[in-house]
Amino acid sequence: MGDLRSLADLSDEERTAAEALLFRLADDEFVLAERYTEWQVIAPTLESDLALSNIAQDELGHARVWYDALNRIGHTEQSLVWERDPGSFRHSTLVELPFEEGDWADAIVRSYLYDVAEDLRLDAVAESGVHELVDPIEKLRSEEEYHLQHAQQWLERLCDDADGLDHVQDATDRLFEHALTLWVPGPEAAAIEEYGLRGDSLASMRRQWLDTVGSFLESLGVTMPLDPEDDPADHRPAAVGRDGSHTDHWPRLHDDLTETYRELDRSDVRRLRGESA
Amino acid sequence: MDIDAVKARAGPREFGPADDMPEEYRKAATRMLQFHANSEIMGAYLEKPFIRKSPSIDRKLAFSAKVQDEIGHGQLLYRAAEALGVKTREEMLDELGRGDGKFLNCFHYEMTDWWETPMIAFFVDGAAMKRQATLKQSSWTPYAHAMDKICFEEGFHVKHGEDIMRELASGSRKEQRLLQEAFDTWWPRILQFFGPTDDKSTHHDFAADVGLKTMTNDELRNQFLNAYVPKARKYGLEIPDEPRIRYHEDRDHYEVVEDDLDWDEFFAIAKNEYPEGLDQINGRASAREAVEWARESLDASDSGMPGAAVAAGSD
Amino acid sequence: MRWEVFRQDKRGDYHKHCGDIHAPDREMATLFAQIQHGRRMTTNSLWVVPSDEVTEIDTEDTAFGGRTDKAYRWATTYNVDASFAKEVEDSEKEQAAVERERGATASEGEGDD
Repeated sequence: MGDLRSLADLSDEERTAAEALLFRLADDEFVLAERYTEWQVIAPTLESDLALSNIAQDELGHARVWYDALNRIGHTEQSLVWERDPGSFRHSTLVELPFEEGDWADAIVRSYLYDVAEDLRLDAVAESGVHELVDPIEKLRSEEEYHLQHAQQWLERLCDDADGLDHVQDATDRLFEHALTLWVPGPEAAAIEEYGLRGDSLASMRRQWLDTVGSFLESLGVTMPLDPEDDPADHRPAAVGRDGSHTDHWPRLHDDLTETYRELDRSDVRRLRGESA
Repeated sequence: MDIDAVKARAGPREFGPADDMPEEYRKAATRMLQFHANSEIMGAYLEKPFIRKSPSIDRKLAFSAKVQDEIGHGQLLYRAAEALGVKTREEMLDELGRGDGKFLNCFHYEMTDWWETPMIAFFVDGAAMKRQATLKQSSWTPYAHAMDKICFEEGFHVKHGEDIMRELASGSRKEQRLLQEAFDTWWPRILQFFGPTDDKSTHHDFAADVGLKTMTNDELRNQFLNAYVPKARKYGLEIPDEPRIRYHEDRDHYEVVEDDLDWDEFFAIAKNEYPEGLDQINGRASAREAVEWARESLDASDSGMPGAAVAAGSD
Repeated sequence: MRWEVFRQDKRGDYHKHCGDIHAPDREMATLFAQIQHGRRMTTNSLWVVPSDEVTEIDTEDTAFGGRTDKAYRWATTYNVDASFAKEVEDSEKEQAAVERERGATASEGEGDD
């Protein structure tokens, strides 16, 4: 395994590919976190509220790590979040969907599908050979471990009774095709693969993901929305996120979260000093 | 123990769950703790939308953490209340949903804009911290213990609130104007945080006699004004003309003209009859009801035995 | 179910009670406890115990080893100079502090120092 290189060391083409990968990573985490925070104060129990809040902060922290990497190639928090055209975000449509009131099963299923994917993705990105991609992964992993455990334990208990299982089945049916967009290639996919920025192909990771989530969910009594012989490519929603196409929910969400910034004509963002400062 | 014995012994951390406390004590303590716990929940509910509305990633993280802390505080306080044997946590949470649970006046008002947040996050939290520090001396040990933890966590809340205020106060003229408008609106409510003056307060004497609380509403409000009026001025805020407040240097005392405050509104709020407050109560109640199925699902898997309840299909 | 949580701040410290958790079973109790009781203070380890498994006895139930005079158990009773060995002296100081807390009368020694 060779020495790690920095983004600055890469050729222009390779850097463009890394940038696209970073956008996928960052945007996914940012929007996922944003939706998770909707559950704060109204989770089923006080304890579960704290756990969910922590997961939200973890994911937002991950987004910040990836956005910081993008700072190295000329982007700022303003240009990445607050002043950015919603159509240029590259997150999966899974993470932008709103929650129906009371749909805790959605939060858990969404989390589960996402966390298994993230596990595979971080493994793959760990082989990129690029500092800014590799360095954060160990810490991120340790947090993601909790997220996955949390989702699995909730699923086991919810699916243990008929009503809970119904809710989980509904959520799975609704979310699944959006979850498949986690694996849809973006415009720079060929370059990302060519430069080995992901140690595994999207198709291969998707296969592993389908195996893992399929066997776990089926063991709990959930029927998978896809049969093994189905081609996942036939089950895509109209908008796939990865190319900038999104559901109607996204522009509304982006509008909402940027409202204060725009109302106050801001151009600065408050950045707090870090723990190691 | 009879009530005279309680009064004779009343002191910091004197009583705990192993003590056979008379009903009057247990009810008074439950009332205080329930109010406090409910306030944490409803404060969190009021602030939660500002996680979404934060104008930077770090502000968003801070608000998320603050709201999370408050739910944690509610958890601690409901537990301290349960230890009195009068009501369970579920009963208290249900009462809050039904509109029977009382909570702090400030959380009955709506808060819609970012520039209002320091009113709660700095001034109200600051007032709360003043009070909470004195409650470390409470005679009900579980309450005092909860205060140890809450006071530890709360410091960041107040500083976070001040930081937001500083940013607005040193921002554009528009931001400064909006901040002042928010202050004008919230200032009377903040003054009423401590409740009516001692002569109008019905519960104080007993609570003080049995050591549940150690400072009067007046004393706390005075301490608060001492610390927070200069802070407000430091950030360029003008203290509104009404309610009239006169500082008496000789007594180091802030005299507030009580009649300038709307006590009718306060007492309507205290009865959960204020329309904006009802919106908050009902909004939260609806959300709570909507996830009842998930609580039931968890309960179904709770066998009362420590081992994991997952048995379906396992060998 | 309810669970009591004990936190050890740093390696080598004692575990101290820090609160409780509502959870249906041990696995979820630890899932929740690590966030509720571990995230804001330095935490090296948590013990999570079913509340029912915590038995309490207090001064109403027991004399905790007796109330008749047991001065013989206390270093402070022995009127010998302990300064020759710091560890013995430290132990004596600790016991003296506890004795003061117990409100025990000071030991009558043949005063000599």
